[in-house]
Amino acid sequence: MNILGNVVEHYVLLSAVLFTIGAIGFLVRRNVLTQLMSIELMLNAVNLTLVAFNRRYIGDMNGQVFSFFIIAVAAAEAAVGLAIVLSFYRLKQTVFSDEADQLRH
Amino acid sequence: MHALEELFPAPDFTLLAFIVLLPLLGAVVNGLFGKRLGREAVTLMGLGSVLVSFLFSVVTFFILHHQGEEGATKLVWRGWQWMSLSLHGGGATSLWVSLSVDALSGTMALIVTGIGFLIHLYSSKYMEDDPGFYRFFTYLNLFIFSMLVLILGDSLPVLFVGWEGVGLCSYLLIGFWFGEEKNAAAGKKAFITNRIGDFGLLVAMGLLLYYCGALDWSGIEGARGGLLQEVTIWPLGDHVPLANVLPNSMAVWLNTPRTASAATLVCLFLFLGAAGKSAQLPLYVWLPDAMAGPTPVSALIHAATMVTAGIYLVCRTSAIFVMSPAAMFVVAFTGGLTALLAASIAFAQNDIKKVLAYSTVSQLGYMFLGVGVGAFSAGFFHVITHAFFKACMFLGAGSVIHAMHARIHDTDASQDMRNMGGLKKYMPYTFLTFAASWAAIIGIPGTSGFFSKDEILLKAYSSYIQTPNVHDSFEWPKWGGTALYAMGFAGAIMTAFYMTRLFIGTFFGEFKGWDIVKKWKAPAHEHGDHHDHHHDPDEKLEGPEPHESPWQMWVPLAILGTLALFGGLLNAGALEIIGVHWMPLEHFLEPVFKNASASVKVIEGAEHLLPTFLGLALVAVAVGAGGAYYIYVTTKGEVARAFTEKFPGFHQLVYDKWRIDELYEETVIGAVDSLAEFGAWADKWIVDGIIAKLSSFLVRGTGSLLRQLQTGRIQAYAAVMVVGLASVGWFLVAPHANAQVVANHASGAYSVTATPGLGYSYRWNENGETVPETQAFGDKTSVSFNLDNGAARVVSLEVKNAFGQVAKRKFELQRPKVDMTGIVDVTQGANGQLQGTPRPQQPSQPGRPSAPPILPGAQLPAGHPAVPQGE
Repeated sequence: MNILGNVVEHYVLLSAVLFTIGAIGFLVRRNVLTQLMSIELMLNAVNLTLVAFNRRYIGDMNGQVFSFFIIAVAAAEAAVGLAIVLSFYRLKQTVFSDEADQLRH
Repeated sequence: MHALEELFPAPDFTLLAFIVLLPLLGAVVNGLFGKRLGREAVTLMGLGSVLVSFLFSVVTFFILHHQGEEGATKLVWRGWQWMSLSLHGGGATSLWVSLSVDALSGTMALIVTGIGFLIHLYSSKYMEDDPGFYRFFTYLNLFIFSMLVLILGDSLPVLFVGWEGVGLCSYLLIGFWFGEEKNAAAGKKAFITNRIGDFGLLVAMGLLLYYCGALDWSGIEGARGGLLQEVTIWPLGDHVPLANVLPNSMAVWLNTPRTASAATLVCLFLFLGAAGKSAQLPLYVWLPDAMAGPTPVSALIHAATMVTAGIYLVCRTSAIFVMSPAAMFVVAFTGGLTALLAASIAFAQNDIKKVLAYSTVSQLGYMFLGVGVGAFSAGFFHVITHAFFKACMFLGAGSVIHAMHARIHDTDASQDMRNMGGLKKYMPYTFLTFAASWAAIIGIPGTSGFFSKDEILLKAYSSYIQTPNVHDSFEWPKWGGTALYAMGFAGAIMTAFYMTRLFIGTFFGEFKGWDIVKKWKAPAHEHGDHHDHHHDPDEKLEGPEPHESPWQMWVPLAILGTLALFGGLLNAGALEIIGVHWMPLEHFLEPVFKNASASVKVIEGAEHLLPTFLGLALVAVAVGAGGAYYIYVTTKGEVARAFTEKFPGFHQLVYDKWRIDELYEETVIGAVDSLAEFGAWADKWIVDGIIAKLSSFLVRGTGSLLRQLQTGRIQAYAAVMVVGLASVGWFLVAPHANAQVVANHASGAYSVTATPGLGYSYRWNENGETVPETQAFGDKTSVSFNLDNGAARVVSLEVKNAFGQVAKRKFELQRPKVDMTGIVDVTQGANGQLQGTPRPQQPSQPGRPSAPPILPGAQLPAGHPAVPQGE
């Protein structure tokens, strides 16, 4: 009845792969900008899961609406995050997260 | 009068609340806004509230008097319920915040508000230049409020609120000029000494609640019979600890139980409170130091009103005081001793206010001497007359100090009698009023002090306490009357002597203040600060002459002086000698002391004693005043100087007030100090040293360990988070074969319900260790079955999640074996009766007796144990 069928496994698998890439990216990269991008990747993986599972519930749009919310919040988060990165750069002349250790020292 | 009585009906006499609350209103307004209101408004508020309060008191007095003719003795305003106290032995008594007025409190309220108003008026000029003017009137109004609560309170706890309130105001006013260390210390001394007395009052309250079950006046009087029981006061436990190590006779003596009647205990504790507030031995030491406060305060609080609260308390609880002759004797004897001791100290003092302070202590002693022998109305009469003449004397002394201070500009020197003299010429009004109150205090015939003091002395000799139906081990000693009278008589001579000395030294002879001023080099501009006195640059003498005070100060003096002279006519018992019986106050107070007077006995032949005693009183006045006149006028103080030179040590000892303060310093205060030092040592070395150091070491060690985890690298924190979230995810995804087992051992019904989970499917084996592999997973989430008595079963459960992982679990169920013998199935028969049918007999277990079988069809009552409950 529709071309994608009711098979969610592919989407969940894709989402898991995306999430893992994002998580590993966040863990191994030192550049804050790259880390922010990794976070976006993880958020999108979650969005994908929500939309995919929503296919199972005909007539219920909660999952899709929820993913819109996530997109909006993620945009706001990215704006705040970038502003922090900007002031961090002004402070330290660098965007490496290792340098953000003033509370420890 | 009729209209007033209709406006304020006796059962709900709201006027009392107004009398009490007006001064509080004044205190609140002056306290909160006084700084911005300005001098005139503060004066208006402070004086106005007390004046209206006084007028209401007068109205109350007349209504009370009028009601009294119709037999009512008490007007009550019931406020609201304060608390409910549970009594020992069950029951409860409710305590009301209520006010009441009878003859005693009505008279006292007149004194407090009336003299209070005069002293407010006096203060409006005396304190004129003080920067704390509004503060002073706030405290004074607050004092009047507290004093009125004390007097008009209808129960001991309400009285206690006022009692603490006046103590607080006394503290605030003694330390009014707290800039000087000395004044602040005097305030603290007064407050702390009063605490000891307050402790006594609290204990007495507890005892009264225990033995009488009531704390309001009528309740206490009604239930005072409960105070007759004997109480073991020693030893405190079953026996004295460590008594056995002492020699046997001593141990037996120590362990012998001692008893006292509850009345004695209550009265002694009440008297401890009274002695604290009214400056009696051994707690009198605070009052002389209290003279550090402004002089109007000394007049109002520390002479006329607050210090008489103790006498008021004894009068108020007279009905229970007379139940204990022992306590009454203690009261009388303490009063006599205090009168003597304080008078002796007053001999050697040079500070005019100190002399008056010791005189106050001494006169308070007289009052206790009076109430102690059961002469309650005489003692209370002395409260009134003393309020007149001592307030007048203090205000006169204030006037003198005011004049001296304008000249000498030194607080201590302007109170020193050695700098005064000859003030008669400069201050005629002050002199005249002081003369009137001098005549009253030494007891010149016809003055108020004459009538009140001699009434007390006569009663001290002739009265004793013997309560009917009380079998107390204490009996009023035969020598009691003589000893008490002797103390009072000696005190009277001494009073006449030192008061005459004070009077002569202040107003007669040459003014000796010139010398002080000649040595005093004052810069001319300082005179600008004192616009209340005249300054003439061309005057030959440096500094102005002493001068009369303004009208606000001498008008109260004149009123009080007149009362000091003629106030005795309120209760002129001594007029009996010319055949006139004129004692309106005593008749007015009669209903208040009705219960008490039954226990007051008079020795035989007392009615013939009056002429003798009046003669002796005249002798006392003549000896005291004449002696002082001879020493300080005829010989110009030669005798006194010679005496001082001959016995310098003795003079110094008296001058140092018998060094009682030093004795307390060494003993009581020393003990408290060493306790405090031990506390400080323990705090420093035990609390800080061990407990605080140890815990800080632990915290620091743990902190340095945990700090290693805080690397400051975002990746490290994120890694921990990822691992943690992955673990939680793993736990949620993995299958868990949990189940809820519902077991009903009584009926044998059992069920096992698997806990649900996302994507779970289940398979069961209802009776076996393993689930056959061939069985498919399904949706069945629970199994249920019945077990027989003592049977057991194993249920296996396997759970598979969405990823095909499987978890297994076994549940072992056993129904306990129960002896069913004697258990009866009960049914309701057609006739409405319950019928019991025994279970089929099973082999009963050995050792357990079986209940007698109940036959089929037997009828059982509804409460029979075999009938199941709640079904």
